[in-house]
Amino acid sequence: MDVVLSVATLSAGVRLALPVALAALGALLCERAGVLNLGIEGLMVSGALAGYLVTDATGSPWVGLLAGLLTGAVCGAVLALVVVGLGANQIVTGLAFTLMAVAATSFIFQLSFGIGQNPPRIERIGMPALIVLTLVVLAAIIVVLRGTVAGLVVAAVGEAPVAADALGYHVARTRYVATIAGSAIAALAGAVLVCGPLGLFIQNVTAGRGWVALALVVFAGWRPLPCALGALLFGLCDAVQLRLQGTSTEIPYEVFLALPYVVTLVALVLRGRNSRTPAALGVPFDRRLA
Amino acid sequence: MSAVATAIEPVEPFDAEPLDAGASGGAVVRRAVVVAGVPVVAVAAALAVGALLIAREGANPLAVYGEVLRGVFVAPRGLRNTAIGATPLVLMGLGLAIAYRARLFTIGAEGQFVLGAVVATAVATAGGVRDLPGWLLVPACIVIAAATGLVWSSISALLANRFNTSIVISSLLLTYVATAAMQWMIRVPIKDPASFVPASRVIGNAALPTVPGLHVHLGFLIAVALVPVAWLLMSRTRFGFRVDVVGHNPIALRANELPAGRMVVAVLALVGLLSGVAGYVQVAGVTDRINAEFSVDLGYTAIIVALLGRLHPLGVLLAGLGLAGLGIGFDVAERTHQLPSTLVGVIQAMIIIFVVVGDAVVVRLRARQERG
Repeated sequence: MDVVLSVATLSAGVRLALPVALAALGALLCERAGVLNLGIEGLMVSGALAGYLVTDATGSPWVGLLAGLLTGAVCGAVLALVVVGLGANQIVTGLAFTLMAVAATSFIFQLSFGIGQNPPRIERIGMPALIVLTLVVLAAIIVVLRGTVAGLVVAAVGEAPVAADALGYHVARTRYVATIAGSAIAALAGAVLVCGPLGLFIQNVTAGRGWVALALVVFAGWRPLPCALGALLFGLCDAVQLRLQGTSTEIPYEVFLALPYVVTLVALVLRGRNSRTPAALGVPFDRRLA
Repeated sequence: MSAVATAIEPVEPFDAEPLDAGASGGAVVRRAVVVAGVPVVAVAAALAVGALLIAREGANPLAVYGEVLRGVFVAPRGLRNTAIGATPLVLMGLGLAIAYRARLFTIGAEGQFVLGAVVATAVATAGGVRDLPGWLLVPACIVIAAATGLVWSSISALLANRFNTSIVISSLLLTYVATAAMQWMIRVPIKDPASFVPASRVIGNAALPTVPGLHVHLGFLIAVALVPVAWLLMSRTRFGFRVDVVGHNPIALRANELPAGRMVVAVLALVGLLSGVAGYVQVAGVTDRINAEFSVDLGYTAIIVALLGRLHPLGVLLAGLGLAGLGIGFDVAERTHQLPSTLVGVIQAMIIIFVVVGDAVVVRLRARQERG
C-alpha cells in the first residue's frame, strides 16, 4: 500500500490525468450539443504532433500548445462539415477520422526526421502551469454551460433540436461552434501531453487516452466536474500500474492497466443510458426535414 | 417523412442498400453502380492523393504503383502473402458487416481477436494437451477461440439489453480489458521460459496445416468458404431478414416477431465468434506465438474492410484482399523506391475517409432529387 500512497505516485497520477481530463472536457462539449465525436483520439494525436513540431521549431512550448489548439480547431471544422453539414453517420466519421489522424501523424513524423536521426527533446512546461491551464478550461466550460445563454442553447440543441429550431436558434451553427471548440480542447490535450513533462513525441503517444476520455464523459453523466475527477481516478490507476511494473508484487500490474476500463464499465452499468444523456446525441439534424 | 420519424430514424448513408434487395434487370444494374461507385471513386481518389505524396518524395508515382502491382501479382509469395494478410480481415469483416447492417456499432473485434488467440494458445500449449495430434487440436482450438470471442462480445449485448449501455463504448472498454489480460497471460501463465521478453509458448501441434498446392494456411480457405455462407445467411434466411429489420425498425420487429434484444445478442455473438476464430487463425497460421506485437490493430482495420465492402460479404472479401494487397505491394515498393513505411497507412485511411464523405454526399444529392 505504501507504493500506492507515495507522493511520487500521486503527483504522477495528476500528471497522467491532465491530458485525459482536457480531452474528456472537449468530448463533453461536442456531446452536449448532440455531436458524438469519436475523433477525440485522432484529435489528441494531431494536437500532440503539432505541439511537438511547433515547439521544436520555435523553442517555445506555449506556442506549441497554441499550435495544438489551432490544429484541433481546423480538424474540428472539417469534422463538423462532414457530420453537421453533410449529416454523415457520426460513429463512422469519427472512427475514420481517428484512423486517418493516426496514419497521417505517423507519416508526417517519419518525414520530419530522417532515418537514424533521433527526434530531439523539446522545451517543456512545468506541472503547476499545466494544472492551472486545465482548471481554467474546466472552470470556463462549467461557467459557459451553466451560466450563459450560449450554454443553454448548446443544451437545447443537444436535447431537442427540432424545438430549438422552432424557437429560432441555429441548430447547425451551434453544433459547428461546439464541435470546433470541443475538438480544439481535445487537441490541446494532446499538446499538453507532449509539451508537458514528456517533452517528446513517439508513435502511439496517446495510447488510447482519447477513447478513455470518451468513456469518462458517460461515466461522469455529461457533467464537467465529475469528468475531471474521473480523469484523476484514471491517472492514479495509471500511475500505480506504472509503478508496479518495476517491482514484483502479488498483484499483477495488468490489473491496474485494466482497472480504469473496468471501473468505467461498472459506472456505465450503474448509470445506464439515463436522463442525463443528451436526447439527440448522435442524431443528425436537417432543418429542411423538420 | 415527418419530423419525428426523421429524428428517430435518421437517413444513414453507408447502409443505403444491400446489393441483393430483390429487384429486376436495370434496377439491379443501377443499384450496383451506386453501391460500388462510391468505393471505386474513393479508392481512385485515395490513390491520386497518394500519387501526389509519392511525387513529393521524389519518386515516380506510376513506377511505384507498378511496383505495388508487381509486388502482389509477380513477386514470389506476393499473392500468397496477400491471401494470408486478408484472412483475419475478412473473417472479422464478415461479422462486423452483419452487425453494422443491424446498426449495432461494435468496435470491439480487436479485443475478441486477441482474447480468442490467447485462450486457444493457452489450451493448445498446456501440459498433456500439447502432445495431442493436430487433427484433434485444430478443430478443438477453433471451437475454443470461437467460444471465447462469442462470450466476450456478448457481454456488450447483455449490458446493452439489461442496462441500456452504449455498445460502442462498452465494446471498446472490453477491448482494453482483453488486451491487459493478454499481456498478463504472455508474461506469467503461458510465458515461454526461453524468451526474455513476454511471449507465449509456441503453438506447436495446433498450427494450421498448409493447403496443398496453394501454399496458404487453412484459415484462408475457411474465410473464403464463409463468404457465401454469410451471403446466404443475409439474403435467404429469416435471420438475415431480421438483421435488416433490427437495423431499420426495431419496433416493428418487436411488434411482429421477437424482442430486438435477442437479435442484439445473436448478432454480437456472431461478431465475437468470427473475431475469436480470426485470432486463433492468426497465431496458428502466421505468428506461431503471441508476443506484445501480436495485434497490429487488425480489429480496427476490419472496420474499414466492412465499410469499404458495403456491408456485403462479397464486398468484404474484395475489400479485405484489396487492403491486404495494398499493404503487401507497398512493402516491396517502399524498399525499392525508399519511401516512408507509413505512406500505405495514409492511403488506406484516405480510402475510408472518401467512402464516408462520398456516401454522405450521395445521400444528400438523392434527398435533394426526391424533394425536387
